[in-house]
Amino acid sequence: MTLRQRWNQRIDQWMRSRIHPADSVTLKQRTIYILPSRQGLMFIFAIGLVFIAAINYAVSLAFGLAFLMISLFVLGILYTFNNLNQLTLSALPNQAVFCGDEIGFNVLLTRKPKRSHESLEICFQQGWRTGLNGKEAEALSHADLVEQDQEQIRVFTTATRRGNFKAPYLRVSSTFPLGLARAWSIVDLNLHCLVYPRPIKFRMDEFNSGSGGSDDTAISKEGSEDFYGLRDYVPGDPLRQVAWKNVARGQGMQVKQFVDYVDSKIWLDWDMFYGFSTEERLSRLCYCVLQLDKRNNPYGLKLPGVEIPPGAGPEHRARLLKALALFGAN
Amino acid sequence: MDINYQIPRAALLWILVSVVLVIIPQSIRMPFWLSAVALLCVGWRLLIFSGRLDYPGKAMRVAVVVFTLIISVSQMRNLGVGLESASSLLTLGFVFKLIEMRYKRDIYVVICLSFLMCMVAFLYSQSVLVTIYIAFCVMVIIGAMIALNRSTLQADHRSTWRMAMRIAAQAVPLTIVLFLVFPRIAPLWAVPVQTSAGRTGVSDEMSPGDLSALGRSNELAFRVQFENGPPPLHEDLYWRGLVLENFDGETWTRRRGRSAYSGAAEYANFQFTWRDRVRLGGEPLTYNVIQEPTQQPWIYGLHLAEPLSRNIYQSRNFEAFNNGLIAKRISYDMQSYMSSQTDLILLDSARRRNLDVPQQGNERSREFAQQLRSSVNSDRDYVNAVLSHFQQNPFYYTLNPELLGDNRIDDFLFNTRQGFCEHYASTFGFLMRAAGVPTRVVVGYQGAEYNRFEDYMMVYQYNAHAWNEVWLEGEGWVRFDPTAAVSPTRIRLGVEAALQDDPGFLDESLLAAVGRFNWVNTLRLRLDAIEYEWNRRVVNYDEEVQFELFERLFGEVTQQKAMLLLIALASIVILGVGMTIIRIEPRGQQDPVVRLYNRISDELAKVGLERRKGEGPLSYRDRVVASKPELATVMAELTDLYVQISYRNQAADSGVDRQQFAALQSCFRQLKSVLSPLRQRLS
Repeated sequence: MTLRQRWNQRIDQWMRSRIHPADSVTLKQRTIYILPSRQGLMFIFAIGLVFIAAINYAVSLAFGLAFLMISLFVLGILYTFNNLNQLTLSALPNQAVFCGDEIGFNVLLTRKPKRSHESLEICFQQGWRTGLNGKEAEALSHADLVEQDQEQIRVFTTATRRGNFKAPYLRVSSTFPLGLARAWSIVDLNLHCLVYPRPIKFRMDEFNSGSGGSDDTAISKEGSEDFYGLRDYVPGDPLRQVAWKNVARGQGMQVKQFVDYVDSKIWLDWDMFYGFSTEERLSRLCYCVLQLDKRNNPYGLKLPGVEIPPGAGPEHRARLLKALALFGAN
Repeated sequence: MDINYQIPRAALLWILVSVVLVIIPQSIRMPFWLSAVALLCVGWRLLIFSGRLDYPGKAMRVAVVVFTLIISVSQMRNLGVGLESASSLLTLGFVFKLIEMRYKRDIYVVICLSFLMCMVAFLYSQSVLVTIYIAFCVMVIIGAMIALNRSTLQADHRSTWRMAMRIAAQAVPLTIVLFLVFPRIAPLWAVPVQTSAGRTGVSDEMSPGDLSALGRSNELAFRVQFENGPPPLHEDLYWRGLVLENFDGETWTRRRGRSAYSGAAEYANFQFTWRDRVRLGGEPLTYNVIQEPTQQPWIYGLHLAEPLSRNIYQSRNFEAFNNGLIAKRISYDMQSYMSSQTDLILLDSARRRNLDVPQQGNERSREFAQQLRSSVNSDRDYVNAVLSHFQQNPFYYTLNPELLGDNRIDDFLFNTRQGFCEHYASTFGFLMRAAGVPTRVVVGYQGAEYNRFEDYMMVYQYNAHAWNEVWLEGEGWVRFDPTAAVSPTRIRLGVEAALQDDPGFLDESLLAAVGRFNWVNTLRLRLDAIEYEWNRRVVNYDEEVQFELFERLFGEVTQQKAMLLLIALASIVILGVGMTIIRIEPRGQQDPVVRLYNRISDELAKVGLERRKGEGPLSYRDRVVASKPELATVMAELTDLYVQISYRNQAADSGVDRQQFAALQSCFRQLKSVLSPLRQRLS
């Protein structure tokens, strides 16, 4: 481990020890960090040049200019700090996503009366490092609290694993107004998000209905066994199925419809995907849930230790997906 | 590159405006083509801005670098390695960066360069006007910085400008404190300010026509403030500059030989004899002179002046020199003894020098002088006779004399009889020397305009004057002014009065023409008074003045004291200004009882018995007692008290309240003492 890494780790630990999870955090001087930005360092260099010129040419007003620049630098720090000071961030509920997708965490920014916060940059970050690499920069969310007292923003990160996903620390930063210093704060808003397994597509027919055994029946249309009813003829229908008797009675061309009676209660079973790893099983089950939900016929789920009786509808779907997401969580 | 690092369009406009603003003062001094290049670049940038042109390609950028290199080499050759060429180069790099900048960090390079350009402007001039202008520039630059960091949704120019003004105003107090208190450091290395500006003011040569050229200029030469007592009368205001001892029949020049003005060396030799050669007389008259740049080293004082400031040296002839050319306004203190005498004993070498006239030419004048001298008894009588000759014959004082022939002195004395002061001084000097009276010519200024608003005097170039000093036995060098014999008005009331109707006098300037109106004159004096005060108090605030100020305020100055003062004052100001920026949110007005109760639960939280959200005091007590039975009594007592106080009757006696609160406090202490062994066991 290099010295630099060790140092980073120390800082990381120290940072973590200062961050306490809470649903709502108001930024104060204890939680706001501020350092000169790269532009600020360049500005200090420029102050140095002006100062040296002032000394060497003994020009009083060039001294004045150097001092004015120093004052601006100090003011820049104060202003930038104040741009974050007393800003409140609160967690809002957010929707579950599938593993591998982007999660947009909803965060509410609130200002205190008579305050304004401009050019806030919000993103997730793991450590303490101030520099943003390209990827993080893309995920930056911007916000201004000038006219409205509250603003809801979405901060994006990628759901990297299934389950109850805890968001990384949230980083709020700003260089407004002079850009000479960057103030930032790292907060833990206890942002959690349910992440469903990533669905894996496959041909479902092969796995149709492993275990059956129920007297409830449901109709699967377009079969060939039992007569179900008549419908109007559509060109292209097989002539074999035309109800010729009805034609003879002058009731027009109608087609006889037949259906198959099948056991329509589907059980999605852990054992259906014997031979796959846990995550792959869950992913395939997830895909099944999504497909079956579209078909609108009842389906249940059997996982080791979990059994959810068949049902349908969005709530049922959510329940199943949640079970899949949290499988093995404890 | 990510969009976040690109330059907001609103910010670009601000940047362009500030660039143009900071280049303007340079463009006056810069070669013309440089201004053209600057304009071209700003125009290009505008076209990029409006999408009609693209950023320069690689070939273009290489071409620009080569171009800059060529230019820099040729500039160095033309102007030398100095301020001029450096500032031209700075400008060039600055405008080229402008077309190339794409991202925010590039803009910060431009912003830093803008500040440097402001600094360069101050190197050339520190007048009130330039200061106001630069202050405006700085505000625009601040605006550019704000616009740059602002999101596009908030890019409202007016609010940006307001904020810039606010920040600039808030920066002023700290700037003033630093300006006053920050220790000034002596120059690290010598940097000659090279300017192409011509030498101005009185020169070290005097031929006919030289001073009358100055006589047409209404530029300021210097300002003077007398520190003790009222200023002398107008006719005594002879600002002595240089002593010209060599005469070749046409031109008077300063003593040759020793390389010109090696001030320090000359002074070192001279110091021994100062007191021996001078007989002081009269009350010392102290005054401060603020002299405009002349690009020449000599300075001015009244009669026999002793320099009080550092870096001023005096020559054998009691001329005073600044150590180095005067390239910017300087301020110096002088002390004059108005009735002192110098060189009561004239060395032979000096006598010879001051009697030397060309062997040939001007025969008539020579004869005239010798005749006149033999008709009187003493040198002094001879001087008076010559002066009365000027007085009684039709001599004219004018800026536009007729041209003189080969024998200049003869021609002037017997033919044209028209001349400016140099003609009279030159002729007088010749007549004296021809008759064996040691005489020299002195050039400088005569007279001044009084500014009643700030009680100081202004000396203009048209006050330039030449007169003579004659050595008389027992009196030393005595001042005589032949011009005074011809035109007493010139000396008593000033050159304006004497030359009122003379064509050519100040006819070049419109200001002088309207100067006759009263209110314009008042305004002019007022503006000059402001400029003067600015110079005295701000521009001349240097190491020395700072030291004096400290000494006056705090007695003996030590480095530690100065540092402490700086830190103390700066922190006070930063704190004060900081308060106006960072408003402190009032703390929630919490009931002291609730606060105390919260502290109790905080203590308990340390042993793992945190009060849960929404948990009532009674159930909290029960839970605590259940897990730590040793706390039973104290918990029971304090919970009782807390409930009593919290749910008390509002109208209850405050004395009882206080008692109960004190009891609660003692409970808290008791709890802590019970808890401390528990905590130790835990850790």
